[in-house]
Amino acid sequence: MAAAAAGSGTPREEEGPGGEAVAPPPQAPTGAPGARLSRLPLARVKALVKADPDVTLAGQEAIFILARAAELFVETIAKDAYCCAQQGKRKTLQRRDLDNAIEAVDEFAFLEGTLD
Amino acid sequence: MTESPEDLNFPNAVVTRIIKEALLDGVNISKEPRSAISRAASVFMLSATYWANNFAMKGKRKPLNASDVLSAMEEMEFQRFITLLKDALEAYKREKKGKKEASEQKKRDKGKKTDSEEPDKSRDEDTDEDEERLEEEQNEDEEVDN
Repeated sequence: MAAAAAGSGTPREEEGPGGEAVAPPPQAPTGAPGARLSRLPLARVKALVKADPDVTLAGQEAIFILARAAELFVETIAKDAYCCAQQGKRKTLQRRDLDNAIEAVDEFAFLEGTLD
Repeated sequence: MTESPEDLNFPNAVVTRIIKEALLDGVNISKEPRSAISRAASVFMLSATYWANNFAMKGKRKPLNASDVLSAMEEMEFQRFITLLKDALEAYKREKKGKKEASEQKKRDKGKKTDSEEPDKSRDEDTDEDEERLEEEQNEDEEVDN
């Protein structure tokens, strides 16, 4: 925990004008990769949860688990997309790799049509 | 009242970091797929919230809890996440418990401190205040209330 946080001193995530956030200090890993605490800002997760009009309350643990699940999702989809790029012998992931991964992997079916 | 999807995206810097660490060194990702992945993560989260809420409502509970989210993962066919998420939850609970006990202990110690001068403590106290503020913020944020 930084004793003197940059800027306002409030240790929250803050955003620059371009939407690029000053990333909050990463939580110290507590051992196994699964046990690492969340990198995604919990406040943003809460905002997403609140966006659902049917949801009235969400416990702190639920918010944390959602954040961690989203991280795992990003890792998973990035790796799956990379497999497509590798087949094309490229070292840079492109949009078509992501589209191919979404089409190929059943679990990503819910994304179809949502990213355009 | 719905907010525009852009407002609900995750910070680019964090998403980029997660992607880079998942991939091998020397692998790059260009801007378009990176922002698409970020949007996908938001869609994922909205979907998971929807399913978790379904499970909460089935159980006639209002606040979403962690097991609702785990059930949602199963529903969405992301069973492979479940073990890792359970581990993460245990670590999170331990961390919270440890922080709470530590800050309660410090509060007790502050109360006990009388005449003894401890100049070194001043730095710790600043850190404590930061931690307490975070604690308070976290406590205030116990439940998300619509």
